[in-house]
Amino acid sequence: MLSIKNLTASINGTPVLKGIDLEIKAGEIHAIMGPNGSGKSTLGKVLVGHPSYEVTGGEVTFDGKNLFDLEPDVRARAGLFMGFQHPIEVPGVSNAAFLRLAYNKKAEAEGRDELDPLEFDDFIREKIKLVSMKEEFLDRSLNEGFSGGEKKRNEILQMAVLEPKLAILDELDSGLDIDALRVLGDAVNRLMRPERALLVITHFPRILETIRPQFVHVLSGGRILKSAGPELAVELEERGYDWVLEEAAAGGSR
Amino acid sequence: MTPAVDASPLSGLLTVPRPEGWEALRTAAEARLTGQELPDTSLEDWKYLDLAALRDLAFRPAVAALPALASADVQPYVHPEMMASRQVFVNGFHAPHASCATGLPPGVRFFPISAASEACRLLGTLGEGAPDLFEDLNTARFTEGAVLLVPQNVRVEVPLHLLFLNRPAGDGALPTVLPRVLVALDRGAELELVEEHHGEGAYLSCPVVEIRVAEGAILRHERIQRESPEAFHFGALKAEVARGGQYHSRTLSFGGRLSRQRPRVRLAEGAEATLDGLALLGGQQVADTHSFLHHAEPHGTSRQLHKCVVDGQARAVFDGQIRVAPGAQVTDAQQQSRNLLLSEKARVDTKPQLEIYADDVKCSHGAAVGQLDPDELFYLQSRGLDPEDARNLLTYGFAADLLARIPVASLRRSLRHLVLARTQAASLGDLA
Ligand SMILES: Nc1ncnc2c1ncn2[C@@H]1O[C@H](COP(=O)(O)OP(=O)(O)O)[C@@H](O)[C@H]1O
Ligand SMILES: [Mg+2]
Repeated sequence: MLSIKNLTASINGTPVLKGIDLEIKAGEIHAIMGPNGSGKSTLGKVLVGHPSYEVTGGEVTFDGKNLFDLEPDVRARAGLFMGFQHPIEVPGVSNAAFLRLAYNKKAEAEGRDELDPLEFDDFIREKIKLVSMKEEFLDRSLNEGFSGGEKKRNEILQMAVLEPKLAILDELDSGLDIDALRVLGDAVNRLMRPERALLVITHFPRILETIRPQFVHVLSGGRILKSAGPELAVELEERGYDWVLEEAAAGGSR
Repeated sequence: MTPAVDASPLSGLLTVPRPEGWEALRTAAEARLTGQELPDTSLEDWKYLDLAALRDLAFRPAVAALPALASADVQPYVHPEMMASRQVFVNGFHAPHASCATGLPPGVRFFPISAASEACRLLGTLGEGAPDLFEDLNTARFTEGAVLLVPQNVRVEVPLHLLFLNRPAGDGALPTVLPRVLVALDRGAELELVEEHHGEGAYLSCPVVEIRVAEGAILRHERIQRESPEAFHFGALKAEVARGGQYHSRTLSFGGRLSRQRPRVRLAEGAEATLDGLALLGGQQVADTHSFLHHAEPHGTSRQLHKCVVDGQARAVFDGQIRVAPGAQVTDAQQQSRNLLLSEKARVDTKPQLEIYADDVKCSHGAAVGQLDPDELFYLQSRGLDPEDARNLLTYGFAADLLARIPVASLRRSLRHLVLARTQAASLGDLA
């Protein structure tokens, strides 16, 4: 589904990603872990086309298409989604109206029927149950004045509405208490399908107790230093990141 | 009559007989007007608002619509929430058949000012600072308007509607409407007032609204300027808020070829005020706001958010003066001027002015002029909206932000539709 080959990217002329290789197939859940500042968010934002980042090399295909040929909105309608670490606030635009618009743009692109406000009302009521969101948040402006946790809840609501093929979730657990984390983790699991995939970006292993990856990668200094199965997450929880960095340094100097 | 007045566009108004009542007020206003010309841009206050377009037009009092507007003509402007709490004026004349004030609690009085006697002694006494020429014109020659009196401790649950419909015939001159409004809330009273100006054709509208909010009273005031694209609108608002009172207003300017809003608010001890504004402009429109918020006594709070969305060759002006008087300690005043320019030729001039003569105060102000935030654009794009839709939605949101707290649902909805249409966001479907 997603194939990343030797991807390099920089921001303001500073290289941040220094050669990333990653293959994600349908049905898979991958976790990217690593210390702060290692380039995890950058990887996600480069994939969804954030304009601040410059792709300086490498190739990425999504469903066989060159990802970088597609504008960010086209990528989204093609089924790529990122739940951001710091979602943006948009005053004046009601959450419900925005969600309906986003839903209908995708439906239109896929040749499905659009939903009118009444139909969408029924549809969204089901979706907010999935993420245990209070109805009042639908009438509020998109993310405006939402707490960190409420914003994350809203990101997963958007994911539930858009049902992406590949969802990149960046630090879902920041700002969430343990109960909310479980609710949102369960919601993400319920949205998972054999034809879909997940890329979970996280500094803390905690969320991987709910969303269980088959593959865990450690990203540091803009490179993937180590890839393994879920046992790696357990080891990182127990031992932290330093040993991976040391191991990689030793390997590199060999 | 001096020659200067004769030569100016004002003479057509000042030569008509002086209307009855408020003799002293009118005499004083006329004295100030004598010899006055329309201000030009060499004056600091009018630097950005060029009145040249008015200079060659002779102002004449508007005449009553004939035939009188049928109720079907008025119906589109009536809100179900304010069905039985409205006063309607057409071309500045009271329209009794279109008005209905039966839904008000006992003691609340809402009636045409022509039915008030000079016993309304408050008139002309409220607010501070020198009136400008348009306010003086109103004082000298107004014949109609509304009086609204709310007795002590009465909390009015229904919102009240003051509707001014302007579609006067020109006959070569510039028809002029001079509505006068007096609102007085006695101690502990509470009220929500919607003031709307709508119109068609070319005319000059110079409303003057005077407000007294007594101790502990609360007035919420929505002001909607939807004059015609060819109209001129120069409005004065003068409010005095007594100790612990609250005055919250939102002025939304959509219409008018040239317009100015001139709100002036005086806050006594512990009083609170909100003075929000929005100007949504396109084409060749020029809209100007000159506001003056006076913290005359300690412990006052004020919030002012002024937004302009300017497209085409339009121009917005914001001159926001806040004065904290000597001794007005523990004042908390915040002012924000936020402006969105949608075209190369659009222009905003924003000038916050804080004059602080007390030392223990919390005052802040900020002004921003710019385009849409790239991070917000990207966020919407990342959810599948194409760049154009994302831009339109954000522009809509920037303006619609100020509508969210309008308490009258049907008004809020219709204004959202207006903003949708004016920000090219209508194609996005019904977001209201
Ligand atoms: N806007 C920016 N300007 C300059 N450097 C940036 C910017 N954003 C991120 N970086 C740098 O890129 C690196 C990777 O950041 P990020 O991808 O956010 O890391 P992570 O998500 O792993 O914590 C960091 O060293 C950070 O300082
Ligand atoms: Mg990050």
